[in-house]
Amino acid sequence: MKLWIMRHASFIARTVLVQNGNVEQAVRLINRIMGREGFLEQYRLTRYYEKPYQTRRRINYTKCKAIYNEDMDRKIEFLLRKNRVEPYPGYC
Amino acid sequence: MLRQAILVPRIFSFLERSVLGSGERAGGLLAQETCKATCLLCGPQSSSIKRPLHTTVPRSKAEDRKEMLASMPKKDEGTEGEKTIDVDLLSKRFEDIFPDENTPSRLFDGIPYSQLNICDIKATKNNTIISLNDHKGKALMLRSCGMEGFKNTRQGTNIAAQATGISLAMRAIAKGFKDPVRVRVSGIGPGRMSAIKGLSMGGMNVVSITDSTRVSFAPTARARKQRRL
Repeated sequence: MKLWIMRHASFIARTVLVQNGNVEQAVRLINRIMGREGFLEQYRLTRYYEKPYQTRRRINYTKCKAIYNEDMDRKIEFLLRKNRVEPYPGYC
Repeated sequence: MLRQAILVPRIFSFLERSVLGSGERAGGLLAQETCKATCLLCGPQSSSIKRPLHTTVPRSKAEDRKEMLASMPKKDEGTEGEKTIDVDLLSKRFEDIFPDENTPSRLFDGIPYSQLNICDIKATKNNTIISLNDHKGKALMLRSCGMEGFKNTRQGTNIAAQATGISLAMRAIAKGFKDPVRVRVSGIGPGRMSAIKGLSMGGMNVVSITDSTRVSFAPTARARKQRRL
């Protein structure tokens, strides 16, 4: 019985070609992409069974964090508004 | 990111550079203190010179921003012991990095990509197993950390994985499998990066790296219960 179906096309998806023999850079790139897209996090979560109460706790924490981050970013953007003459002309 | 900038004072480390006579850029009191300590014009040594003269150090915004970003704490990407690179730097050469519809027929040392040997690396928490296979799936070689002489806990280390990679590469070349190889990694473990590094150190020509970690976002069969330590 086939329990796992490879949904990603072999050697097309989740693949990085090595450039100029720079294997380390390719490894870091694929790790970074996998991490950014949430594969590694999902892998770690599914190693052991996460009980429903733990799932609810985690999701609620993530939601609260997202709300806080959104409001804090808005506050910072608001506080950093300015409408004044350039104090250090030529600095760029 | 900016939130951290406001909370963490060491973000201004790049501003504390004080050249003789310039203290304007570092904020407030710090500027005056550094100025008075080092400046010839308004410091303790000055007695005759009354009028303070300050010049700003010629700086560029890009340089300062780079310094500031370098001094920020590194964000955890999720893989232990791995460093990250800025993907945006590679945006100019994206067509060369990721495979497209022509890649299976693209030649590497005269062999089309779809017919290259495959090097499967299974990186688990406790061990790393590397196997060299045909493009059809026929097994050619197999090496693991235990075969290298590491036992028990020491198998689940990056050093063991690197040694295994080197060993397999050298044995493969000795047996005649000198062709370029495409690597397929599975799992997250200490040997994930080190095994590939070992392969290339041993002399294997690694052409591409694929990740085939078995991950499901859909509900799966119930996994075993959490370990209580």
